[in-house]
Amino acid sequence: MHIPDGFLTTPVWAALDALALPAAGFAARRAQRGFDESKAPLLGVMGAFVFAAQMINFPVGIGTSGHLVGGALLACTLGPAAASVVMTAILVIQSLLFQDGGVLALGANVLNMAVAGVLAGYLPYHLWGRGRGRRAAIFAGGALSVLAGAVLALAELVLSGVRMPGSALGLSLGFFVVSALIEGAITVAVISALENIQPGFVRQPAPGHSILVGALGLTAVLLAAGGVVFASTAPDGIENLAIQAGLSKPLTGYGGGAGVAGVGLIFVLLVLGGRVLRKRSA
Amino acid sequence: MRHTVVEEWSRGASLLHRRAPLAKLLPVAVFLVLLASAHRRLPWLSAGLALLLAAGFLCARLPLVAALLRAAAVLPFTGVFALISWLAGDPARAFELTAKSYLSALAVLLLVGTTPLPQLLRSLELIRVPRFLLTVIQFLYRYLFVVLDEAAHMRGAAAARGGMTFRAAAGALAVLFARSYARAEGIHHAMIARGFDGSFHPLSTHSFTARDGYFTAIAVALPVVARAAAEVLP
Repeated sequence: MHIPDGFLTTPVWAALDALALPAAGFAARRAQRGFDESKAPLLGVMGAFVFAAQMINFPVGIGTSGHLVGGALLACTLGPAAASVVMTAILVIQSLLFQDGGVLALGANVLNMAVAGVLAGYLPYHLWGRGRGRRAAIFAGGALSVLAGAVLALAELVLSGVRMPGSALGLSLGFFVVSALIEGAITVAVISALENIQPGFVRQPAPGHSILVGALGLTAVLLAAGGVVFASTAPDGIENLAIQAGLSKPLTGYGGGAGVAGVGLIFVLLVLGGRVLRKRSA
Repeated sequence: MRHTVVEEWSRGASLLHRRAPLAKLLPVAVFLVLLASAHRRLPWLSAGLALLLAAGFLCARLPLVAALLRAAAVLPFTGVFALISWLAGDPARAFELTAKSYLSALAVLLLVGTTPLPQLLRSLELIRVPRFLLTVIQFLYRYLFVVLDEAAHMRGAAAARGGMTFRAAAGALAVLFARSYARAEGIHHAMIARGFDGSFHPLSTHSFTARDGYFTAIAVALPVVARAAAEVLP
């Protein structure tokens, strides 16, 4: 789901663009560390592969078919940073040359699919990709990558005041769950086929990460996604709370802007906290 | 091998094609921001901006009808949400979504239709987009149609055998993945053999001339005036 221009309100797209640029820069630096700069051809051609993969239809049930989205597959083969760079490159090409997704909304689409989608796609594999639950982890990664991207996109649209009656929202959530399950199944099938061809393609997750940290991360991703959707689909509840707390006036006027500012603030705090921690451990 | 229509367009020699990439990037960015943030008198503003874009396409000697059809690629997505808004009793919002997304797509099309992608990406380097990312985009674009053709062959072959099952499709994708990977390694070796140092050097570079400066000023001023008129007029 690529958001075109004109759907997001100015505070929303501006804030997401401002977040996406450093995130893309970070991913590019990380990817360059793993692969030296001259490996750029690899990431470019793999981007072309993901594009072309959309032409191969996977039959699922009566008369319908799905196709690969690719975030989780790339994360399991190239690593999350490189996968994020490839997905960003795909989104740029799609918005510029194929009018698929807006240019101002590029930040939103990059955060949804190339950052959140890839991270959510890699997390289960990172945690449980070594043991017996490997296939389940890959499946969960594929499903989560689509789900995270779609739910975030939906939340951004609702935050921008695009009308979504309850029935339409339920319908699109159902549609997302189905496409997420299809993506999970396709990712598992392609990865096992790849391992039959050459096992070296699929990278092994690094050992020594505690399950607790991962579980916390996964819960945080789900909570954040779910919370944003809940907060934006049920503003009445929040407004009621605000009225009871005597906060009604300042909250109602800002709505979307305040939410985005809050998310931005949290992001900045996390980045600063990360810097401090890294300096200490170094 | 197929090329996108847009790439053929971008090789023209009109007044717009001859401008430096930055002289087109800036006005389009201003156009997009002004359109995205507009609320007052949106129908009139959209009509004015649409005329502006049409003038741009004529000035660039690009086929207007083909461009209008190509920009319609946004309409399926927009249409769904516009329809929902309409049914929810908000026809103004339905119009807003359709007009804004369609005109934005048209503006981007005018930019990429008059600026070859390598030059456009090079000018993006000036606004601090990471160079590694831009290099990856270059490679993606360069090999997109090669890999697309390969996928089309696979699909054709599968259709000739009577269609693909789920497992066969997964196998086809795995093969496509392995071939792409091998192709990338081949490309990498060939480029190292030719002395690739990690950056591209376009054959022709535009330097930003005084003429580009005048053009930028006028092209930025036009949408600004349109928006200001929509805001100020009673």
